[in-house]
Amino acid sequence: MIRIIGTTILAVVFIVLLGLVSLATGGADSLDAYLTVATLLFAIGMFGFLARRNAISMLMSVELMLNAVNLTILAFGAFVEGLAVSGSVIALMVMAVAAAEVTVGLAIVIAIFRNKKTPLVDEYDAMRQ
Amino acid sequence: MAIGDTIPFTSIPWIDALFVVFAGVTLLAGLLVVTMRDIIRCGLAMMVAFGGLAGIYVLLGAPLIAAAQVLVYIGAISVLILFAIMLTETKDAPSRLVFQTQAVPAAVAAVLLAIVTMLAIVATDWGELAERLTTATDELARVLFADWILAFEVVGVLLLAAVIGGVFLAKRERTDEAERPR
Repeated sequence: MIRIIGTTILAVVFIVLLGLVSLATGGADSLDAYLTVATLLFAIGMFGFLARRNAISMLMSVELMLNAVNLTILAFGAFVEGLAVSGSVIALMVMAVAAAEVTVGLAIVIAIFRNKKTPLVDEYDAMRQ
Repeated sequence: MAIGDTIPFTSIPWIDALFVVFAGVTLLAGLLVVTMRDIIRCGLAMMVAFGGLAGIYVLLGAPLIAAAQVLVYIGAISVLILFAIMLTETKDAPSRLVFQTQAVPAAVAAVLLAIVTMLAIVATDWGELAERLTTATDELARVLFADWILAFEVVGVLLLAAVIGGVFLAKRERTDEAERPR
């Protein structure tokens, strides 16, 4: 019980902290705050893609990066005159392409898994042997 | 508006408070996605991150994109990824070693990227910026089906190709394995 309460308090503290970091570059009415969130999310995704061993974890990190870029597009659309509608349309296109990407990516991972019996990418070293 | 622009008894605007909550949830869930050991929990944290992003999209005045985010990402892509996780679960999972050997350089590179990009964002003069614009859904539909109709059709074909390709790649080839001696 104490552990649950402690974890909850820690999570709330972290959420407020990360949110305030994003807000520090300007209020929620400024472009900078949204771009900062997108930047941090993209960096997190990049770290995950480079560092994780599991192929599906890497795909999830790619999804995070795609979402960060989507957020950038929408932020520019919301703050630059005349871009709002086109920004939304481009964001929809990015979503559709991301869905296609994840479908094919997961199919490839499953096909490799059937041969190698592992989802860990550092054991896919058939070319080296 | 029924409730005021600021939180009662304080001078904090609602939009700032909501932004802090959504951005914090998104970033914390993103961090959990890339650091947690159990990959199923990573997938669930990813759904939370997508939900926070949907909230930010609403703050940005794009309610249709927020709805599409909930439907496509939380509804479809997350379920697809969770199924793939369950299909590729091995006996020794969750693996003890989550990160590759290049994890530390990767972390350094990610932090550097974040710092450099944030400096660039803060230093750039964006010129004349509008107030937060809201995208009207009917106007979006008009633009999507008039100016962007070719891209829309191409995306449809791409999705069809992706579905066929995914089925073909993930299909079990029983006949081949039975006939061909290993």
